[in-house]
Amino acid sequence: METTGDSWIGARVLRKEDERHLLGAGQFVGDVRMPGLRDIAFVRSPMAHAKLKGVTKPEGHEASVFTYEDLGPMKVLRTSPDMPTFHSAHYPALATDRVRFAGQPIAMCLASNRARAEDIADLVQVDLEELPAVVDVVDAMKPGTIKLHEDWPDNAYIHNTIDAGDMEAVAKIAAIKVKRRFKMNRQPSVSLECHAVLAYWDFRTGQLVVYFSTQGPHVMRIGIAEALGLQEYQVRVIAPDVGGGFGGKNRLMPEELAVAALAYKLKTPVRWLEDRREHLIASPHARDHYYELTAYADKDGMLLGVDGDVYVDAGAYPMWPTAAFMETSMSARNLPGPYQARNLRARTFTVATNKAPMGPYRGVGRPGACFAIERLMDEIAHELGIEPVELRRRNLVSSFPYETIGGMKLDTGDYHASLNAAADLIDLPAIRARQAKGELDGRRIGLGFAMYTEQSGHGTGEWVKRRGRIIPGYETATTRMGADGTVELLVGIQSHGQGMETTFAQIAAHELGLDPSKINVRHGDTSISPFGFGTFGSRSIVMGGGAAARSSRTLGEKLKKIGAHLLQCAAEETHLKDGQVHGPNGSVSIAEVARAANVRPDLLPQGIDPVLDVTMTYEPKESAGVFSYSTHGALIAVDPDTGAVELLDYVVAEDCGTMINPLVCDGQVQGGVAQGIGTALYEEIPFDDQGQPLATTFADYLMPGSMEIPNIRLAHIVTPALATEYGVKGMGEGGAIAPPAAIANALTDAFKDIRASFDETPLTPRRVIRALDAAKARVQTGEKP
Amino acid sequence: MKPAPFDYVRPSHLGEATEILVKGQGSAIPISGGQSLMPMLSLRVASAETLVDISRLFELKTVEETSTGISYGAATTHAAIEDGKLPDPSRGLMHKVASGISYRAVRNFGTMGGSLALADPAADWPACLMALGALVTIVGPDGNRTVTVPELIEGPYTTILAPGEVITSIEVPRLPAEARWGYSKFARKSGAFANSLSVAVIGGGNKARVVIAGSSTSSSLLTDTASLLDRTPDATEDDLKTAIRDDLTKVDPNGDDYQHRSHAAIVLRAVQQARLP
Amino acid sequence: MITVTLTVNGQEETHSIEARETLADFLRERCNLTGTHLGCEHGACGACTVTINGLPARSCLTLAVMCEDRAVQTVEGTRGDPEMDLIRKHFHEAHGLQCGYCTPGMLLAARDILRRHKAPGEATIRKELSGHLCRCTGYVGIVEAIRRAGAELSDKS
Ligand SMILES: Cc1cc2nc3c(=O)[nH]c(=O)nc-3n(C[C@H](O)[C@H](O)[C@H](O)COP(=O)(O)OP(=O)(O)OC[C@H]3O[C@@H](n4cnc5c(N)ncnc54)[C@H](O)[C@@H]3O)c2cc1C
Ligand code: FES
Ligand code: FES
Repeated sequence: METTGDSWIGARVLRKEDERHLLGAGQFVGDVRMPGLRDIAFVRSPMAHAKLKGVTKPEGHEASVFTYEDLGPMKVLRTSPDMPTFHSAHYPALATDRVRFAGQPIAMCLASNRARAEDIADLVQVDLEELPAVVDVVDAMKPGTIKLHEDWPDNAYIHNTIDAGDMEAVAKIAAIKVKRRFKMNRQPSVSLECHAVLAYWDFRTGQLVVYFSTQGPHVMRIGIAEALGLQEYQVRVIAPDVGGGFGGKNRLMPEELAVAALAYKLKTPVRWLEDRREHLIASPHARDHYYELTAYADKDGMLLGVDGDVYVDAGAYPMWPTAAFMETSMSARNLPGPYQARNLRARTFTVATNKAPMGPYRGVGRPGACFAIERLMDEIAHELGIEPVELRRRNLVSSFPYETIGGMKLDTGDYHASLNAAADLIDLPAIRARQAKGELDGRRIGLGFAMYTEQSGHGTGEWVKRRGRIIPGYETATTRMGADGTVELLVGIQSHGQGMETTFAQIAAHELGLDPSKINVRHGDTSISPFGFGTFGSRSIVMGGGAAARSSRTLGEKLKKIGAHLLQCAAEETHLKDGQVHGPNGSVSIAEVARAANVRPDLLPQGIDPVLDVTMTYEPKESAGVFSYSTHGALIAVDPDTGAVELLDYVVAEDCGTMINPLVCDGQVQGGVAQGIGTALYEEIPFDDQGQPLATTFADYLMPGSMEIPNIRLAHIVTPALATEYGVKGMGEGGAIAPPAAIANALTDAFKDIRASFDETPLTPRRVIRALDAAKARVQTGEKP
Repeated sequence: MKPAPFDYVRPSHLGEATEILVKGQGSAIPISGGQSLMPMLSLRVASAETLVDISRLFELKTVEETSTGISYGAATTHAAIEDGKLPDPSRGLMHKVASGISYRAVRNFGTMGGSLALADPAADWPACLMALGALVTIVGPDGNRTVTVPELIEGPYTTILAPGEVITSIEVPRLPAEARWGYSKFARKSGAFANSLSVAVIGGGNKARVVIAGSSTSSSLLTDTASLLDRTPDATEDDLKTAIRDDLTKVDPNGDDYQHRSHAAIVLRAVQQARLP
Repeated sequence: MITVTLTVNGQEETHSIEARETLADFLRERCNLTGTHLGCEHGACGACTVTINGLPARSCLTLAVMCEDRAVQTVEGTRGDPEMDLIRKHFHEAHGLQCGYCTPGMLLAARDILRRHKAPGEATIRKELSGHLCRCTGYVGIVEAIRRAGAELSDKS
């Protein structure tokens, strides 16, 4: 690692992006003003599965209603993965001959405002012939079940088997065998700003301009241009302020494509602002994992192996650019967790059902995998009657690098330190003492831990293995210095709450010896920033930050050369600090150097081109990724009468390598934990037997508020990565991974005496009571859990 | 998520309001705080040809002491009760209930009258006012009538209100000094409608009143439990549980086992709280 | 169509609208005051919070016509207000926002909480804030910002 100038790396710099939001002056897609703008409302399928036989446009409104045919020819986008065993399907912008989930868009209605567009939508008649709905993921795979996509052999997008080690041998010798079924139910990502897109034809530039609440404007441009048959330069995608994404805004929804197509067809500005009901019903859904697993351990609690089936209900269609197949493989590969087990066997099924298509959501396959393995670890501990923390201590990976049996190349860390820090922070002995005394209010308290590793910043090699059609193996940054010595840092990632306008400025400031206030980070506009893949998969600080470091450092070298010329010394003798190029006998301001480079070419040394503008890409040395990790500890109280769970305390001891800005890291962890608590206790879209979603407003879909989320307390351990700039590791998703496991383990701990098992999220009061009843019934019959 | 079109009128006095409502025969409906009606209109699960804005009618805003208690205009907001600036005949119960309804911004506009008229099975006011033995005054084309809360509410989202009838005031009798109340609410998240909600008012020479409300049942009086408490104020917990269970099978025949257990636990808590010295 | 006049951030706004138009849409689409955000349109998230005659209100649950002759304040109308600037400072310092979508509603809620509770502690703030959803922060920074603002305001008074 090379450092020059001031160390802004690791500083708690307050965020640059705050001011506009605090003044109510942020600009989200819905805030964009445009003369003549009209609103769109979609007509959606009321049925989960049906043949679409016709759409009747209401009289007098024929010109305001559009079906697939009306949008003009559209090319079918091919989704990843690119492999023969993966079955794909066309997810059309508007349904053509069949609808495959309740809420699928069928037609779009245009009016001067949204209310009037909805009036028209209410009048559109849709002729549907209902088909049996495939709702359950296991049933979907039974022979004889109706197929969603007729050209597939069955309802699986893909099935796969991982078989590493020798499970047959393990099964014979293991002293402990724990078998469990786990389910993590379905939810969308629920950014507070719903999806939004506004598109118009810009006659001056000859471009379709698409304001798009997305995490990846450049990639979306590729998709839109290809689908509409436009040259890429004819499409400009602008992601202005984006009110949260969490994965859900990293796929191209059919609605979004339809809006772009309509604007191109009509050449007038149109927009669609997804409402909350649409978001809950039809935006990319997530989780919906089901596991049937057996864990084997020896008599000392050493985990020997994990064996079983992993099902992911991926909904009706694959989404562009990447279908949900990563869920199962990522989940299966993460089943060994941070432990040294040497046997893993998993059959995985990614299954199509008549539900909304699946997209990524913070953590992707890992929350499910973490839930499964961490629950199993606690069950092994309870079988042996040892403290779950102690069981983990015995099993944790302790020397690095270490390749898990799932093929994860864990790079650096101190997993024991994390576990110990979490146990200390929550005060394990004090809680055990409190439990021994019992609670005055009749509630039970329980303590649970969960650990995980988070692969981040993985590069080309890893994505090639996953057979992507788009390989997000690198990122790009442009460092551009104006004549006054201030910097525009243009990046291909997209910041929507992660504070990258601040952290990336810190990186450039660090490299250039400038104050971050001299650096303006621009992103989210294909006409401004260089190409990049956007923000997802905990990649931005590793990839984009690395690119910003490289481009800024290279620009710094040029500053030094010019400065050295002005100072009459050698470039090697100079360094950048406090806005100056310092030489052995004096210094010159960077502003002075910038003036020379931009507007006084006469002052430049021989062989140095004018202009300060460097674009570079970056990919970390290790393409298998760098691994953040953490231990979560949850203290809960359970009301055994109602099944209500209250979180009394929540701690996280995490290591994301070098922190560029600890303030921002804390915020990322806390926000992630809150989402994980939502998954653990509150958030769920249940479906009835006909495939109708049963939570379509926030009255039924419970979002955790300030009373449901406790104060989340953090401890940091810093083990820099070896393969990245500054030793950073990605960390955006991590917080959301472990809460379901930690909270379920806490419940299990609270009712250890009857060995109640809490294996399905969200752990609603009803599910809690059901698990308690089941445990009590087992106690009576003497059956083993 | 926008409402279908409707007309809007803001009558200047109650007589005008009832006249418009009667003429509308059900297609004209009153709007008070709008805190329940607006989401229903926006989701298009409710509709109207005309909205009659009763939120500014002075007749619905009067709060006065009567010989037996306090009469609140139907447009009295949850926040007004929460803030304790109005006279309180309930010795703190109404304040407690009001401050647990939804969120402050909703409480600033949502009204007692609107809550009673909507008769959401899980709502707080119907349960509380039933337990307090409140009397509801209704004004309609044919004049006034005064009913009890159990008379007003026939079931989930159904009341005896005829088109053109408006709730104008709610009279809450003063609790005797020796009376005690208990209140317990279990909701899946804070500010949400209750899964189980119970209010118990006992002692002070009045007959005991114990009410259950929640997701599977409208506000209902638990009569066995109440008479057990009248007969045996220090009834054992087991006897109470039996009475509660018997009551629940009567008032909530469709509730499942979990719901009954949750209801029973919440009722018991309300009763026990009320029995605290 | 109905013509309504209300005062928004101290200015009279008169527009001809459909009766069904919510205050939120009136503010955003007629007055171009886009700081008032919509997160649910059914009263559950608090992003659309404004004040009506000084009282916090869900602008998605209010018809614009019902606000005739009333004074509405949006987040834009609080610019330069010393009490709000102090609250803003603490949101900034305590990392009380990430994407910023919930922020306008949070700020107006924060001011109302601090007017009704002197130097509130964490428990009070959490209860009072419970009608305001934030998907990004886990509330930690927001609660801390309000606590600090309350402490500073009560020191001053
Ligand atoms: C997010 C959220 C959470 C909530 N949580 C709770 C909760 O936990 N507990 C709870 O009790 N409530 C809750 N509510 C509802 C809230 O208390 C409402 O304010 C109340 O139920 C209705 O009062 P309103 O004045 O707003 O009525 P409106 O919405 O104006 O009207 C409701 C209905 O009553 C009719 N009506 C109104 N006033 C009269 C009258 N005087 N005479 C005849 N008919 C009339 C209307 O025509 C309409 O049909 C919640 C609301 C929201 C938005
Ligand atoms: S938009 Fe009004 S409360 Fe959510
Ligand atoms: S900061 Fe994004 S919703 Fe609160």
